[in-house]
Amino acid sequence: MIHVTTRRRLRRAIPALSLTTCAILLAACSGGGSGSSNPTAPGGKAVPGGRLIYGLAADADGFNPNKDSFAAQTYAMAGTVIEALTAIDASGNWRPNLAESFKPAEKYTQWTIKIRKGITFSTGEPLDAEVVKANLDAQKASPLTAAVLAPLRGIEVLDPHTVQVHLTTPWVGFPATLAAQVGMIIPKSSLADPAKASRQPVGTGPFVFRSYTPDNRFVVAKNPKYWRKGLPYLDQIEFRILPDNQTRAQTLEAGGLTAMATLRDTDIVKFGKLADQGGYRMYRVAGMSVPEFAFMLNTAVAPLDDLRVRRALAHATDRQAFIKTLRSGLTKAADGPWSPDSKWYVPGGYPAYDLNQAKALVGEYEGEKGPIRIELLSVPDPTSMQNAELAQDMWRKAGMDVTIRQADQPDLIQRALTGNFSATNWTQFIAPDPDGEYSWLHSRFAAPVGGLSINMPRLKDPQLSAALDAGRGNPDEAARKRAYATVQQRLRDQLPFLWIDHLTTSAVITKPQVRGLDQYTLPDGSMGKALSGTPTHRFDQIWISR
Amino acid sequence: MALVVLRRLAQLIFVLLVVTLLAFWMINLLPGDPAMQILGYGGDEAALAQVRAELGLNDPFWSRYADWLGGVVTGDLGTSYISSIPVAESLADRLPVTIELLVLSQVISLGLAIPAGLAAARRAGGLLDRVLTTTSFGLLSTPVFVSGVVLIMVFAVRWPLLPATGYTPFTTDPVENLRSLLLPSLTLAAGQLAVYARLLRSDLIATLQEDYITLARARGLSPRRILWRHALRPSAISLVTVIGLNLGALIGGAVIIEMLFGLPGVGRLIVDSIFARDYLVVQGGVLLVAVGYVVVNFAIDLLYGLLDPRIRHAS
Repeated sequence: MIHVTTRRRLRRAIPALSLTTCAILLAACSGGGSGSSNPTAPGGKAVPGGRLIYGLAADADGFNPNKDSFAAQTYAMAGTVIEALTAIDASGNWRPNLAESFKPAEKYTQWTIKIRKGITFSTGEPLDAEVVKANLDAQKASPLTAAVLAPLRGIEVLDPHTVQVHLTTPWVGFPATLAAQVGMIIPKSSLADPAKASRQPVGTGPFVFRSYTPDNRFVVAKNPKYWRKGLPYLDQIEFRILPDNQTRAQTLEAGGLTAMATLRDTDIVKFGKLADQGGYRMYRVAGMSVPEFAFMLNTAVAPLDDLRVRRALAHATDRQAFIKTLRSGLTKAADGPWSPDSKWYVPGGYPAYDLNQAKALVGEYEGEKGPIRIELLSVPDPTSMQNAELAQDMWRKAGMDVTIRQADQPDLIQRALTGNFSATNWTQFIAPDPDGEYSWLHSRFAAPVGGLSINMPRLKDPQLSAALDAGRGNPDEAARKRAYATVQQRLRDQLPFLWIDHLTTSAVITKPQVRGLDQYTLPDGSMGKALSGTPTHRFDQIWISR
Repeated sequence: MALVVLRRLAQLIFVLLVVTLLAFWMINLLPGDPAMQILGYGGDEAALAQVRAELGLNDPFWSRYADWLGGVVTGDLGTSYISSIPVAESLADRLPVTIELLVLSQVISLGLAIPAGLAAARRAGGLLDRVLTTTSFGLLSTPVFVSGVVLIMVFAVRWPLLPATGYTPFTTDPVENLRSLLLPSLTLAAGQLAVYARLLRSDLIATLQEDYITLARARGLSPRRILWRHALRPSAISLVTVIGLNLGALIGGAVIIEMLFGLPGVGRLIVDSIFARDYLVVQGGVLLVAVGYVVVNFAIDLLYGLLDPRIRHAS
């Protein structure tokens, strides 16, 4: 997701990442699992039963993975009903989920996927190779997801529970991509009626759809025939769409919710204190899945096509001032797209705050080419505007003429994709694996200004692209780490983004009796990834303590 | 009467044509492409072309407007670009919420404003009048997003008597439905009751100066009877006019209340659709609001005659 804060923005933003972000992970791990859950849930003995009322800031556009953009709130709601072929574990690696195993061949240009036997959709239709092929074909044909599956050349059914996927290029992390929207499997009846599937999701998941009132609530009930025996624990989940941050928090306090998702630092501060006293539980995102806030620079237009200007901006930007004044001191300064607590992170090389250095660079540039004028784009919500105004103040102090232009989300999407901007507020980079950022940074996806470019800063850096290719095609972790160290170094050298902070203010706050939210097992017995992004998590092993 | 209705119907058609055409034109002027909005940041040129073709966005403005208008005539308001839900169905789902909110807020505000206005006018300048005037100014100057949060804090958090947010349909649970709409209706009513009370008070004071009121007093009628039976009706013309305008505006304009309290109303649908460039939903919403305005104000015109016989006889 991209652009912070208001619900509409969230609604549109998150899909971008959700589609591509399903990162590319280490190849090697595949294999089967028992399909049963751990009888003793983390945090105590799980008690079946109970109802969770969960507050979300925005509604979904729809629940059909082949047709609708999936944002964080869509994953929360639809993810209780529809499952994906793979899942992400606590270390950020992919694991089989609906699939039993993935076997690469032909240097990772071919993957053989074995589907678990004995799983049925809640409609009674069986999960088999034909359904998986039909879903992947539909994803490949959908304008929404075709770009993500661009390397997919064809799918072949080998037997009733095995498909073989053929790719045009080596893709080590292909299974990881199937942990998100493109890997979510719906029955043939839903594929045949996409409009109905948008409003009444059907899947193999731990819960079955009960009712949906747009902009109001989405209700699911326990699936008594769920293939993972003993799960889920909850009888029912009711998601409530409450767009106002203040009243959503008040509803939690008043007991109208038992849990809520938030991105607000004020909620973290307030409920954090109460959590310390045992009144609430708070879970915050960490690691690779933390979104980063940055200013994205268009490197294809003057004056930001000159590296000196981008460096001047970096030297003029005091990241600690952002954290202190706009994040209540809760976040850490960023110097790249990946958090220091990730195994992919390497430190060093990002320009330090140095106003004199910034002024010197501005003087050097202006001596040659004239005054620096920058237009900073921002969506018109208060939080985004505060970020823009603080940056404007800092950059002006370095001698640059900075104006702010407000653009609502559709306008901003268009400007960013077509290169009609100088600089803009930006929030992105939640992929659990660095390969998830491939399309956003590779020069192959950088079109000239006016054309549609997924690489929105339009940076064409051969070293950066070569490193991204190396990370995508090589299964060796040490080699990948070297490749992504180069990626980080090139981003710090070339500055298509001015990094500000890792937004660890993405959190879920629950009443104390809600358990098991951050610790759950995957079908193969490994621990699953807790919170990610803005934020999303699983619900099948949440239980209510009595 | 039939002539009046026919004249109104002609006006309605003209107003709807102008309003929907202007709305269609204006939303097309907005920067941003619905196809890009649907695809987010992940689409390429081919995907964009495909979505634009599917939505008919490559057709000229007039052709798209004519298509939409043709659909309206046959009862088809189109389908949302984003959710694929038929626009008529979306509006039909949202309308009961909005109507309930409007009715309840008007009942509350009028239920409080009429006695307050009468009491204030009866002894203009007295202690009660001054207290009511001050209270009215206080309510008028408090934005709904402040009064809403305060009411939630008091009646949901401090004393958990009512739900803080959310909406329960009447068909699901009538009692819970009323409870879920009480705080939003009170919030909405707070500002309106101040306007209504002030308006009624000033009109009543003027009416109480009329000769026929002096005559009534001379005949020994009680002040209560004079106020309720002889002064209130002719003093309610301005009040009824403002109620009509208010109702029209609130059909699509209670968006802040709907956002604050998480109500799935028409206002929220229209605003969300504008931000999503979901043209057909915006058009449907504008059509609904325009129809609402015209119908409500037509009803108000009829009400004038009931309130003041002179108007009835003149027409």
